[in-house]
This record gives sequence, structure tokens and C-alpha cells, in this order.
Amino acid sequence: MVGIMVSYSRETLEGLASSAKSATELAPKLHCLRNLRRDLQKEASVFPTELLPLLFDLLSDQFGAVRKFVAEVLGEIGLKYVELLPEIVPLLIKSHKDETPAVARQVIVCGTDLFRSTLERVAVQGLHSSELDELLESSWTWMIKFKDEICSLAFKQGNSGVKLCAMKFVEALILLYTPDPSGSLEPPSHEGIQADFNISMLRGGHPVLNIGDLSIEASQKLGLLLDQLRHPAAKSLNSSTIIVLINSLSAVAKKRPAYCGRILPVLLSLDPLSFLNGVHAAAANLALKTVFLSCLKCTHPAAAPDRLIGALKEIEGGGRTDKAEDLFYKTNGSIQDKDSVEDTKVPLEENPLCVSSLVAESTFGRKRSGSEYNIDGNGDALSGKRARIIPSVSGESTEGLNGNDVGSLPLVASTSAGPNKSRVVSDTGPVQQLVAMFGALVAQGEKAIGSLEILISSISADLLADVVMANMQNIPPDDTSYADGTDDLVMNMCIVGSDAQIKYPPSFLAGVLSLSTAFPPISALINRNIPKKENAGEELCADHVDQQMFSAEDAVLASGLPASSDTFPVNEEGNIVFPPNVHYRGNIEGGIPGMDSSAQNDVLLEASVTSVLGSTNVEAASMNQDASFSGEPLLAVIPSVSVDKSEEFSPKTTGTGCNSLVSSTATSLVSAPQFVLPKISAPVVDLSDEEKDNLQKLVFLRIVEAYKQISMSGGSQLRFSLLAQLGIEFPSELDPWKILQEHILSDYLSHEGHELTVRVLYRLYGEAEAEQDFFSSTTAASAYETFLLTVAEALRDSFPPSDKSLSKLLGDSPFLPKSVLKLLESFCCPGSCDKVEKDLQNGDRVTQGLSAVWSLILTRPGIRNDCLEIALQSAVHHLEEIRMKAIRLVANKLYSLSFITQQIEEFAKDKLFSVVGCISSERGDGETLIDDCKKKDLDMENPPKKSQSVSGVGMDTSSEARSSTSVAEAQRCLSLYFALCTKKHALFVHVFSIYKDASDPVKQAIHRQIPILVRTMGSSSELLKIIADPPSGSENLLLQVLQTLTEGPMPSSELIHTIRKLFDTRIKDVEIIFPILPFLPRDDVLRIFPHLVNLPTEKFQVALSRVLQGSSQSGPVLSPSEVLIAIHSIDPARDGIPLKQVTDACNTCFAQRQIFTQQVLAGVLNQLVQQIPLPMLFMRTVLQAIGAFPALSDFILEILSRLVSKQIWKDPKLWVGFLKCAQSTQPQSYKVLLQLPPPQLGNALTKISALRAPLTAHASQPEIRSSLPRSTLAVLGLVPDSQGTQTSQVQASETQTSQGQQQASESQQTSQSQQVSVPLSHSETDHQETSQVVATQSQSSPIGTGMSETSQSQSSPVGAGQSELSQDTQVSDSNPPATTSHTQTSDSQSSNQTHADDEKIDDTAASENETMEVEKSKESSAEEEE
Amino acid sequence: MKNIFVVRIFFLDHLDMVAGKNRRIVRRGGFAMRFRYAMVCSSNQNRSMEAHALLKRQGLDVASYGTGSHVKLPGPSVREPNVYDFGTPYKQMFDELRRKDPELYKRNGILQMLKRNLSVKLAPQRWQDNAGDGVFDVVMTFEEKVFDSVLEDLNNREQPLMKTILVMNLEVKDNHEEAAIGGRLALELCQEIEGNEAWEDTIDDIVAGFEKQHRRKLVYSISFY
Repeated sequence: MVGIMVSYSRETLEGLASSAKSATELAPKLHCLRNLRRDLQKEASVFPTELLPLLFDLLSDQFGAVRKFVAEVLGEIGLKYVELLPEIVPLLIKSHKDETPAVARQVIVCGTDLFRSTLERVAVQGLHSSELDELLESSWTWMIKFKDEICSLAFKQGNSGVKLCAMKFVEALILLYTPDPSGSLEPPSHEGIQADFNISMLRGGHPVLNIGDLSIEASQKLGLLLDQLRHPAAKSLNSSTIIVLINSLSAVAKKRPAYCGRILPVLLSLDPLSFLNGVHAAAANLALKTVFLSCLKCTHPAAAPDRLIGALKEIEGGGRTDKAEDLFYKTNGSIQDKDSVEDTKVPLEENPLCVSSLVAESTFGRKRSGSEYNIDGNGDALSGKRARIIPSVSGESTEGLNGNDVGSLPLVASTSAGPNKSRVVSDTGPVQQLVAMFGALVAQGEKAIGSLEILISSISADLLADVVMANMQNIPPDDTSYADGTDDLVMNMCIVGSDAQIKYPPSFLAGVLSLSTAFPPISALINRNIPKKENAGEELCADHVDQQMFSAEDAVLASGLPASSDTFPVNEEGNIVFPPNVHYRGNIEGGIPGMDSSAQNDVLLEASVTSVLGSTNVEAASMNQDASFSGEPLLAVIPSVSVDKSEEFSPKTTGTGCNSLVSSTATSLVSAPQFVLPKISAPVVDLSDEEKDNLQKLVFLRIVEAYKQISMSGGSQLRFSLLAQLGIEFPSELDPWKILQEHILSDYLSHEGHELTVRVLYRLYGEAEAEQDFFSSTTAASAYETFLLTVAEALRDSFPPSDKSLSKLLGDSPFLPKSVLKLLESFCCPGSCDKVEKDLQNGDRVTQGLSAVWSLILTRPGIRNDCLEIALQSAVHHLEEIRMKAIRLVANKLYSLSFITQQIEEFAKDKLFSVVGCISSERGDGETLIDDCKKKDLDMENPPKKSQSVSGVGMDTSSEARSSTSVAEAQRCLSLYFALCTKKHALFVHVFSIYKDASDPVKQAIHRQIPILVRTMGSSSELLKIIADPPSGSENLLLQVLQTLTEGPMPSSELIHTIRKLFDTRIKDVEIIFPILPFLPRDDVLRIFPHLVNLPTEKFQVALSRVLQGSSQSGPVLSPSEVLIAIHSIDPARDGIPLKQVTDACNTCFAQRQIFTQQVLAGVLNQLVQQIPLPMLFMRTVLQAIGAFPALSDFILEILSRLVSKQIWKDPKLWVGFLKCAQSTQPQSYKVLLQLPPPQLGNALTKISALRAPLTAHASQPEIRSSLPRSTLAVLGLVPDSQGTQTSQVQASETQTSQGQQQASESQQTSQSQQVSVPLSHSETDHQETSQVVATQSQSSPIGTGMSETSQSQSSPVGAGQSELSQDTQVSDSNPPATTSHTQTSDSQSSNQTHADDEKIDDTAASENETMEVEKSKESSAEEEE
Repeated sequence: MKNIFVVRIFFLDHLDMVAGKNRRIVRRGGFAMRFRYAMVCSSNQNRSMEAHALLKRQGLDVASYGTGSHVKLPGPSVREPNVYDFGTPYKQMFDELRRKDPELYKRNGILQMLKRNLSVKLAPQRWQDNAGDGVFDVVMTFEEKVFDSVLEDLNNREQPLMKTILVMNLEVKDNHEEAAIGGRLALELCQEIEGNEAWEDTIDDIVAGFEKQHRRKLVYSISFY
């Protein structure tokens, strides 16, 4: 059956093969071959040898694909049917030179498989029999030939894809030829191919294979591979070759750690950048990096992690080294945590000194210390080098540690030397006995290897573990060099440890790792002996020696450093300094030069020095044990480096210190089940996720809670880093951040909350910014945000606003997310809702927020805009208190910062313009308001509030509320801008330009602000520029500005000039002049006086008061009499002013009696009556004067009589007035009337018939009658024309009296005519007038100055609002003098008059007569009065 | 023995040419071979799937993977991402998210992305867990972390086949826009490689050319199966 099957299939196969051969197309060929292969795989029995030639023929097929496929098939056949190998392999050798690379590659691949299987067969067969079977032997010979071919291909210069395969083959070869340290040591019990072939199964006496020869060959091949990477050769390689080389070498280094010592130096010295251009260098660098990173996980001593890290740093420029260091730290750096395990185990012996003491006491330790001493004795260079390496390693392993404890160094040495003898561990349990036994065996050296092995294999795993645990006290703290791969158990545990690092919390991991580090003392000893026993090559020997060196160095540290942890707290007060900065980076850099030298040394020592050390000097070394522990070696080493390297030591010591502290607390905590020994003794613990979480949480909590001890020992920086890192690593379900937050917030100050928070934030930020996938980075970002926000909010709630913690936190955070800015915004711009609840605090909060914003703007350009936005929003806040604070910040502090000036300005401008558009109110309200505004402009004494309430009277309450809110709204938007205006006056122009379009509330708001604003600004040149060219429609505003400007002291001449010019050119409204009226020269005032008169009464009043009041410096511009004269000199027709206005002006003046007093009037009338022609309103004024001051009637009668002499009747208007006057002053006026010429008298009597009777009665008195001319009497009807005598008598007497009078009147007339006829020059009249003015001025000056004094004393401080009041007081003040003057009216009048006349005499001879007459008449009138 | 006999098809087409059209099998030295490609990013959602979809449309033999521990998709807030295990069908995610908040996930493009993905393959696959998927010739990664993970994984595997594998990293930011660009670049690169008989000999030139043309850094490494 089988035969049939076989024959059938054989035929089929042959058919397939031949058809494949005969086919001309590729596809059918391949199809046939594929079927052939499938059938072959099914075929289990003997191979049809006839098929081979067919296949061999196909190997030279025209199609490469076919050749490749055939090669593959042949390889499979060869694997399956070993007996065919001698036939197949020669063909393979031939076709590895195939011109198609794919075929060649395939050949190599097949060859590799064949080689491996053949080697295994040979090895296994040789184990069980001394002879190999012939077939196998010839197969092996062929395979060796094949191997040589491929190797030559691999080491040939060139860059082909085939070479890559060939190199891979060499790698496989090296691995096959060298023992696998992790593989089984036991020889296979039965013949056959094992899954994991290990050359170490070969024992001596193998007929063909010699493990030593194989190792040598492997070593040679490795050397050839390495040579390719060495400098000159590497240049000719392309990057793919280099990558493969590096990868292959790293695979070798990983799988055969013994070669690390040879491979790593080459890789480390490989500098791709020096001979490769960009792309290729990057690829090579990457490969190197990957290799180094993977080598870091390797715990072999030759792995030299410090150098790897250094190299990685160079490659990455620091980018990935964190990871590298982390990795290293996690893998190897459990130095200090070991103490904690120890402490848990031996609670009674917490004193870390027991380490050194045990080292000193046990024979085991004796030996180790001996070797250490020897190595130290090997030369200064060596010890110096080592001293450098160790600190740098430890510095890295305690990454982030920055405590510095220089002072403890000498202490380390001394204490380590001191009490170690006194400490004797007297544990007599079985474990200790075993330890002692091990020690004794080890002490015997090589002789005891066998028994040691037996002992190890005989005790149970648990017990062995306990022994190791006990022995751990003898271990130096640095375990980097110990975990040699030859020990199965150790290796496994290392793997467990390094794999678990991500999942397990670090301290648990540390526990596990420290367990693995516990083994080295034993494993190292075992390891040392194994190579010798098995006659491995010198490589391993050298390797072992390397390891010894490291251990010896570690012993130095071990004796010293743990002791420091004990002495540390004691000497805390005196010796310890804690510089706050992290300096481990510096340490590493410092360590690199040392590393280089050590690298070279390592290579050298491989061959010579250490081999001696390893074997011969052991005995001699143990003799010197005492000397080695006197502390001298340590001291000898330290001084040489401590000068500049002391920092490198210190992190280590401090680290030990704080860890021991932590561990001591750990010991005191009962609830720490993960540290209980039994659990640790089985280091591979499968924890459920929940358990892991719990552990992690506990660990985290413990670190969090350890703050007290940490703060005492100074390791808080490390703790912070640790917590931050753990927070990142922990699964988010545990929510480590929350725990941390609670801790921070429970006592922010004493828990160093700020520092911790900032540390955490930076860590999170780094994580978020690491440019990973956006899923994980967003997670970190959200954690960051939440953390910061929570802390910030808690700070807000728990600290008073005056506390600076929050703003410090915000300032130190690496980045402020939106939500935090929002929080800040809520500080600065609190919503209206919480205004009620904490009104009191709000203000402080705002200050707090604003100051934070301010500092952020200054220090954080990145979020400057956001912060500025907050500040600006706050500056237009609806609450005035907040707004003012913000405005103060913005205007005073921020606006001066050149980089944001523009923005602030834009914002304020926007707000300014926005109010024009947005805020509007009803027209009805507006009108009232605008009136108000105007009114307010006019009388500044009204404070704004008042005017508003006045406006409110007219309106219903609702509209009032509306308008006031919109005013507030306008103010909200405007105040920032106004504040800026004070800083930059040019901005003010926009206020003017919007004013026209602004709604009424806005205008109102503007008017409210203007006084303050303008007062602050003063009349700067910019302001003047604006004033000089105000936009149309802004007159009201301009008025207010001017008013404000002129309120204070004397306005500048520029200002006055500007206003004058403005009035002359652009704005005809005379109101604009008002503010400067008191400061204008007299002539100017007189020139514009008609304009003033033309104003409505109220305004005229204001102007009048200003003119009369004048400025405090120069006194009144015009005296009251001048004002009246000016009014009278207005010609309505000429000046274009309605008569009504003029009369109103007169009325206004008369209304103010306290100013326009009797004397003033008298003076004025006196002057007016001299004018030719008489002013139009003269008689009206006279009438008014009589009405106002009856006491003036005598004086007026005199005026009237002068008017008579001036032939008043010629002017009909005045004549009417004259008669009215006469009528109102009767009976005194009779005398004047009687002076009238008879026709005029008759006219008068006809006009006012009521006069006739009394006048006749008066005239009929004898003495008067007698003085009257007859004609007059005739007019009066006293003398009929017929009664001649009587009348003549009367006439005579009349003529007598009237003669004089006539004479007088004639002379008056002449003088008048003279005055008219004599061409009086203007200057003369002017002069006359001025002299009169001088007189009147001097007359009124007491009052005037008095008034001005009071006004001076009151006006400036009080301001516009009170000026009304001040006027009132003025009035009341000036009253008493006025009354007194009333009493002496006549006297002073006359004296005045004389005085004036005296002067006149001097001045004009022409008017002498007249004045004389006036004087006379006055005297007579005075007499009459009397 | 794994089947490493793969047919290589050479593309002369350019990006804009539609798959299937103008496809020619070029014989060089009698070979008709085709490379297998793998696109790898961290979640096997965005970048790798974009490239996968694109390469697939162009007729290349391609698969895609993620190297992360979970498939993470943005959630309603940054604190609440949607986390799935690898192997959860895209359809399921799609339905779930559409049920949760259609607006949100439409807005951030997640639904569209998932819809695209479910038309390409069933579920996200994890690179490390799918060693059995066979031999790839070229692996494209889109992030250095992913690149490292792939290399580490490859180095940790047994390498009995001695078959070279090219691992290339092209940095692509993890957002939709960049992924689209990255996908196109990956396609171009793969077509370039496809056009070479043996990339082992020409990879340096390919990479240099690519870097020069696109001004993007491209890192590669070689590993073995």
C-alpha cells in the first residue's frame, strides 16, 4: 500500500518536475513546482532520489524565480532527508553565486537551516557515541565548506543584499558556536534535534567538534564582523549594511552577553556622523540607539550602562536619554531600596552598618574585600578611573536627587571603619548556617567548586532564596555588575524585574530587583568557576574578570555608603547643605571622560591584568583584608576626586539617607503586606489588575505621606519628581492626581504645595507636549488642566485675596489653559450675580486677579493677548469699583508697555466708537438732557449730579432710570478711553469727533468726565491743537473743555490766543469766549461787547459777571460804569443788534444793584450826558436810575437842567423821555421845567397836561413868579398877555435870574458848540474818558478789590460747583459797604465830581466852562437840597 | 515553512492613477514578485488606516496595525476618551459612538474615519499580537515611538527565516489632515520601493531621494524574519 502510494507519488513528482523543466513560461513552471512541493511535504517516507537530478537541472533554469523556488525546495528536502545533503550542498554552494540576488539569498537561507540542523545532529550524535556515521560526517564537511563560502561572502567588501544575508548567517554561526548562557546545561538525554540547541551540551571527547575550537572560530568571525565596523572599513559600507551589522552585533551581544565587552566598545566608538552623510547617518544612529537601549536592559557587567547612556545622549542630543536613564534606573537602580527590604526582614538590625560589619566579619566578605584591595593596588590610574565611574553611575541611578552632603563624606569613611567590628550578627538559624557554609566553601577557592555546586543543587529553591536573602546584607549597594547571565535563576528574575517595571509600582519592583541583586555574591562565585570547569574560551574568563573588577569597586562603596545613611540624620544640623538645584546632568557629563578611559582599560585588561587578578592573587588578597578595611583605600580614592567630584558622591549619599528614612517608616508601618518576606521569596507574583492597582495606590500614598521625613532629610525634590512621574505612569483609574491634590491642598504652605504643584505641572506638560499621538497627549493635557484648575480654585477659596500663592502658581506654571484664564477672568470681571454675596471680597479679588494678570502679561508673552483681554474686559466692567481698578492698571501700567500699547488703544477706541452706535435713548429724554448739558455748561456751579436730578424732575421715573443706566453704560465704555487720554492727549481728538454723533446719554457721560480729564491733562500742546481745530458739532464739548481749562489759575497765553483765533475764524458763537473773558484785554472785550449784549439774558448775565469779576490776577476787565457806557454806546442799527437786546442788557445791569450802585449810575449818567449825540437810551436809563435809586433825583434834576441847556427838545425821542423824567421827578423838576424856553414849556405842558396845574401853582409862588420871565408865565397862564406890569415885574425878576441862567446856558451852548466846533481829536476825548475811568475805577476799587479778594479766596479750591455760592457770599459781603456809601452819597458824589473836574481842568481848557457850570449847578442843587 | 513566495507587481503608475488600470507585471530576471506592506501607527485608526485604504485602493498588498496598548478615540471631553481593545470591530465603535453623540463625533471627524476604516477591514489589529500574519517586506510606521515598538518586537522574535524586512518611519502628526498627507507620501514611497527589484541595494537612494523631494525626514532600519 505504501509502496503504491510511494510509487504513485514518485511518478507524479517526477512528472511534475519534468513538466516544470519543459515548460517555457514562468507561470506554468511555478505552478508545477508548487504542486511538487506540496506533494513533497505530504510525502513522509524515503525521498525519491531520482527526483534530485531533475531538480538540480532546474537550478540552472532561465527564470530566477524558478531557481529560487528550487533552492527553497532543495533546502526543505535537505532538512528532511539528511542523507541527501552531500549531494545537495555542493549545488547550493554553486548557486549562491547566482546572478539573481534573490536566488543567492534563498540559498543562504536554506544553507543556514541546513547548517544548523547538521550541526545539531553532529553534536548530538557525538555525545552518545564516539564515532559519527559516515554520511553525517561527509554532510558536515560539506556544510563547513558551505559555511566558509558564505563567510567569505559576508566579509567581502561590497554592498549587496546578498551580503546582508551572509552577515546574518555569520551571526547565526556565532550564536551556534557559543554556549547560550540562558540555555539548559544538561545534555539532551536522547538523540534528536532539540528545540533549543545549545553548544554547551558538548562535552570533551566529541569526535568532531571541540567547543574550544568552535568558540575560537566564533570569536574570529565576530572579530571580522567588528572589523567591518571599525573606522576605515566602515566608510565603504552603505547604511543598510551598517544597520544590519549593528543589529547583528547587538543580537550577539544580547544573546551572548560575554561578548558585550568586545562589541560595545566598537559600537560606542562608532561615530556614524563622521563618515556617513545625513540620511545614512540617521539610519545608523537609529540602529545604534535601538541597540544601546536594548543593551541597557542587559544586566551583564560588560554592558556598561553608564557609557551606553552617555552614547545615547550623544546620539540623541538629550532627547531620549531620559528614557534611557529611566530604563537603567528601573532595571538596575534599586540600590537603596534594597535597604528597605533588608529592614523589613531584619527589623532588629535596622542599622545599615550591619552591611559593612558583615562584610568585614564573614570569610566571604574577607575574600571580596581582599580582591578589592588588590585591584586598588594595581595602579593609581585604575583606581582613579573607578572612583569616577561609580559616582556617575550612582548619580544617574538616583536621578533627580539633588541633596548634597559634602560634609558626610569623611564621616562615611570613619564610621565605616569604626563600628564594623563591634557588629556581629549572631543569627544561628539554618539559613545563617548555610550562609556560613557557602562562605567557607567559597573561601576554599577552586577546590570547592564541585561541592558548592552540589550544595546549591541539593537545597530547595525556597531555602536557597532565604540564603540569598540573608546574604543580601553582604551586598554592596551597587548591583549593576552582578547579575551575570550564567545563573538561570538570577537571569529569570532579572527578566521579571525588567519586564515588570512598567506595570508594577517602583518600590515593589525595587523589592523584586533587590532580590535579584542579592544573588550576585553567590552567582558570581559560581559563575567564576563554571567557565573553568567547562573549559570555555578565554573570553568568558576575561569577562568574569571584568565583573570582578566591578564588584570590587562596589565593595568600596558598600562599606562606606550605607554607613552614611546612619550618620546622616545625626549630623544634619552641622554639616549638611542642601542646594536646591538638580545637578545630576552635570555629573553624567563629568563622568563621560572617565568612561572613555575605562572603555580602553577594559579592552586592555581583558587580556592581561585581570586574568592575573582573577586567579592568582586571591589568596594574597585575603591576607590584606584588615588593611583594606581600615578605610584607607576609600580615603585614598576619595581625596583624589572629591575636590571636583564631591557632588557626584553626594547625591548618592543623600539618596541613601532619605531612602533609609523612608524605609524606616516603612518598617514601622504594619500595613505593608507587600514587603513581607514570603511574598518576596517568590518574586514572580501574578497580581490581578485590582491588586496591582491597590499596590500602586498604596505606594503612591506612602510617598505622599512621607513628606515629613523627606522634608527633614532634604530629598523633597526627588519626592516631587517621583510623585509626578508616578502620576504619569499610573493608570488613570487610580486617579493619582486627586490624591496628590488632596495632599497639596490640605496644607499648601507647609507641604510645599507650590513646588510640588509646579513639578507635577511641568511633568504633565512635558507629557502633553511630547508630540505623541493626540489621544494620549490630550489625556495628559486634560490632567494638567484639571490639576492646575483644581489647585487654583482651592487656593482662591482657601486663601485671602491678599495671598500671593495663586499668582505665583500661575506665573510658574508652564502653560495656562483656557479654563484657568477663565478663572482669572472671573476674578477680574466677576459676574453681576455674585456681586451681592461677597461684595466686600470682590474688590480684593479683583486686585488679586489684576495683579496676576499684570505679571502674566509681563512675563508670559505667549498668553499676553489673553491676559490683556481679561484686563481690558475688566476695564469696561459694569461695576465702577472694578472698572476703576482695572483702568488704573491698564492706563498706568500696561499702556506704557510698548508691545501692547497699540492693542489697548484699539480696544479703547472700539469701545469709544461703539457707544456712539449702540447707546441711544428716546428723543424726548434726549432733549431734556441736552438742555441740561447746556445749562451745566453755562453754570459750572451745578455739579453733574444735580443737573441730572434736575433733568429727572421733568421726566417720569422710568425714563429717568433708563437714561441713567444708559449714561452708566456710556461711562462704562468711555472711562478707559478717557484714562488713556490722560496718558496720550492726542487720543482726545476722537472724543471730539464722536461727540457730534453721540447720543445724549453718551454726551452726558462725556460731560461728566471732562472736568476731571481736562484738569488732569492741562493745556498741553496736543490739547491746544485739538481745540484749535475742533470737529464741527463738538461746540458744547469744546465749551466745557475750555471752561475747565480756564477754571484754575491764569490760563496760558497760548490757550487764550487759540480761543481768540478760533472765535475770529471759525466759531462765531461768542460763548466760546466766555471762559477767557476775564483774561482778555479790555479793548478786546469792548470790541466784542455788542456780541455779548446780543446773547440771551442769562448768558449775558454770565458774561457780565465774568467781565466784571475778571481774573484774580488782573482784576476786573471792565468796571460797571464802563459796562453801562459800553451798552449805551451800542448803536442797534450799526451793530445789527435789536434794540430790545440792548434794553434787556440795561435791565440786567440795573437788576444787579449791588454792582451797579448809585454812584456808578451817577458817574455813568454824568459821562453819558456829555456825549454828543446823546445815547439813544440815555433818557431811558435816567428814568430807570430814578426808579432804582430815588436818592439820585437831585442829581438827575441837574442832569435834566443840563439837558435843557442842551436843547433836549430837538431830539423827539429823548424829549419824550425828558418829559417823562420831569414828570416822575416833580415837584423838584418844576424848576427845570421852568427853565425851558416858553415854547418848549408850552409843548411840554401840552404833552403832559397833568403837569400844568402843579407847575402853575409852583410858579405862582411870589418869589418864583418874580424870577420867571413873562413869556414863561404867559405860557403857564399866570400872566395874561395883557397884564403887562405884573408880568414885566415878574419878567424883570425873571430876566434877572434868567439872565444869569441864560448867560450860563448861553455859555454852555457856546461851550457845547465849541466842543462841537472845535475839532476834538479822538485822542482827546478818549483821554478824557480814560481819565474818568481811572477816577471811577479808583472809586470803585475798594469794593472791587474786596470782591475779587473774596472770589480769589474762594473760587480756586471750590471749583465751578460752588461759584454760585461764592457769589452769594460776595453779595452779602459787599452789602455793608454799599449801605454806608448810600448814606454819604451826596458827599462822595460831589467830591468825586470835583475830583474828576479838577483833572478835567488840567486836561481840557475847552470844557472848563462847562465843568465850572456843572460844579456850580451842583452846588446850587446841593444847597437846594439842604 | 512560511510562504515567502510572493508575487511582486511593479507599479509605474503615479498617484493619480486608478488601481487596476495600467497595471503591468514587470518581469525582471524572470521574477514576478510583489512586496507585502504593513502600515503601523499607534491605534490603527487614523494614520495607518488612511495609508492602508490608499495603498489598498492602489492595489498594493497591504495590512495595517497599531502598537498601542489600547485603541483610544477622543471622547466628549479630554478626560473621557473612548477606549477599546484591539480587535473591537470598527463597526461596533461606529455604532456606539453614533449612538452616544452623533453630533460631536461627526464634527471631530471620528465617525467619518470609522466609516472609512470599516470599509477597509474588520477591526484594529495590534502589531505585537499579530506576528502570525506572515512575512512583510516593508513596514511603514508613522511615529517614532511606533517605529521603536515595531523594531523591538521584531528583534524579540525568533529570526529563523533570515528574511529581511524594511522598517521605515515617516513622522506624521495624528490628525486627519496630516494623516491624509502622510498616507499619500507612504503610497508614493511604497510604489517607489515596489519599482526596485531588491530594495536592499537601493534603499539608501530611495530614502535620500524621498527626503530631498518632500523635505521630510525618513528613517529606516532593517530587521529579519
